[in-house]
Amino acid sequence: MRTQRLGKRYGSFDALIDLTLQVERGEVFGLLGPNGAGKTTLLRTLLGFLQRTSGTAEVMGIDPAIDSVAVRRQVSYLPGDARLPRHMRGRAVLRFFAEIQPAGDLENCLAVADRLELDLRRHVGFMSTGMRQKLAIAAVVGSRAPLLILDEPTANLDPTVRARVLEMVSEAKEAGRTVIFSSHVLSEIEEVCDRVALLRGGRLAHQQSLHTLKARHRIVASWVPAAGSMQRNGAESAALDVPAALAESVVRAQVDGPRITIETAGDLAPLLPWLESLGLQQMRVEAYGLRAVYDSVHGEQVVEV
Amino acid sequence: MINRVLVRTYIGQAVLLWSACALALFAFAWVRVWVSSLVDMGQFRTIVEQFRDFERFSPVSFDSLFTHTGRLGMTFDEPIVILCTIIWAIARGSDVVSGELGRGTLEMLLAQPISRTRLLLSHAVVAVGGLALLVLALWAGLAVGVARTTVTETIPPPSIRIPFTALELPLTTGGPVTETFAMSSVVDPWTFGTAVFALFALGFFVLGLSTFLSSLDRYRWRTIGGVMAIYVLQLVMFGLGKATDRLDWLRGWSFFNCYRPQVQIAHVVAGGWTAPWRLTGPDPNSWFGPGVYPLILIAGGLLFYALAIAIFRRRDLPAPL
Repeated sequence: MRTQRLGKRYGSFDALIDLTLQVERGEVFGLLGPNGAGKTTLLRTLLGFLQRTSGTAEVMGIDPAIDSVAVRRQVSYLPGDARLPRHMRGRAVLRFFAEIQPAGDLENCLAVADRLELDLRRHVGFMSTGMRQKLAIAAVVGSRAPLLILDEPTANLDPTVRARVLEMVSEAKEAGRTVIFSSHVLSEIEEVCDRVALLRGGRLAHQQSLHTLKARHRIVASWVPAAGSMQRNGAESAALDVPAALAESVVRAQVDGPRITIETAGDLAPLLPWLESLGLQQMRVEAYGLRAVYDSVHGEQVVEV
Repeated sequence: MINRVLVRTYIGQAVLLWSACALALFAFAWVRVWVSSLVDMGQFRTIVEQFRDFERFSPVSFDSLFTHTGRLGMTFDEPIVILCTIIWAIARGSDVVSGELGRGTLEMLLAQPISRTRLLLSHAVVAVGGLALLVLALWAGLAVGVARTTVTETIPPPSIRIPFTALELPLTTGGPVTETFAMSSVVDPWTFGTAVFALFALGFFVLGLSTFLSSLDRYRWRTIGGVMAIYVLQLVMFGLGKATDRLDWLRGWSFFNCYRPQVQIAHVVAGGWTAPWRLTGPDPNSWFGPGVYPLILIAGGLLFYALAIAIFRRRDLPAPL
């Protein structure tokens, strides 16, 4: 999936602005952003539900503005608010979607429904919100389409089912399928995605490889510096001198009064002798996490990783 | 051009409404034939003659009604027949886009590899097919009613009117003679074929109109409101046009002016099977022959469908609320 300066405007409101993204085949790509950031607009434009205002888009090599049907032949899409025909029973819904989608597979849909412990004998109208969501997931994830687009798939689900859905996303990746995964839940994105794009106000605010992010840590400790071990740039805050050999591993080393914060990238092992030499106390090592990236983007400070 | 799976689903959605409407139309037509047989033609004539001053409100001349065929032809202007047909047309037409959007089900549906044109045409196949079967159910009710009903009529005794007086003197001393005969001996159900087509054309026009408004909207209740507003406005225009010669021009702007089932039946009775299908004549006061009017409704319905497809193909689909 590729977009180039993609834009979508409603009257005077820009829902998407110059959005350039690329999702590689076989990866799980996360879409993250606050409400109204443009995640769903992006997905719906890619499926041909919305006509783009500017830029280009391509899904599996096909422009959705030219042939959205061909795009949807390759895609299995779970909307953020998936609603199904209320007059049909669960099993009939799965049969309907398996028959209408060329990549549909009723047996697989039934297997997914079984994993989600869904009672397919009920009419959709008598199902709870969570059950309807599970049914929609079974219809979408059970398809053999090469590209899965899931818009907040775990909304309304209990923790056990959430975990199973995330398992299924991982299995889809292992089966060579591409997944675009939109969610508000940072931990889910961290768990299943290879890369994540953070949108804000219709723009791409930041892209992050989760593999790189997982190798980042923050070390927080109490410290009384020895004379000459730091460069003062203010009364309270100062940058810490880092040995040249560790410059690539230490992204930031900051002293604020008696507190030191060191942000690292990559393997921690080479840093250990240096950390020991600093004489730190009450040291705590924590994974950097998507929360920090999200907060920095949301707080209008884009972090470079 | 259509999708078999979608058609099957739409049939499943519509079958209950269709069954109710079909049953109502079939039973009503049958019962109406029977009720018609209960009212003696002489009595009927006497009653109708009381309203001779209001004949212009009748779709056909009163004289056309003094036959069993003419009386049964009134079935096509009965409110319940129009109501069932219009309910089907509005219910199905309004459902296709704004109904699915309102329920939020269009999102999942259009996530499948189906073009919007194909979706709309699949819906149209079920709606138009259902409409055709509904009017056929009405026709079947009439046919069954005609086949199963016997008529008992009072034949007035021969009498002589004394000139320049209001006196009629019976020529026999016996009472009036009653005669019983099968309705089928005086009414041919095939005569109503043209009226059935007129009813279908009316339903098709309203179906097209509903589909067109549905393709523009995202709320079904608003679509239905819009269709009903147009329907009532057109009905009022038609009524006012009939009420006074000064407003006669309004009739030409109402689609009800093209719904003339009783006139069509009168043409069959007067001129044979081909008469109601003529595109020109025989009425010197009209530009068109009787066959043009249902075709105008069909053309209007097709135009609305074409507009609906054009709009639906281009519009942005709002996300479910």
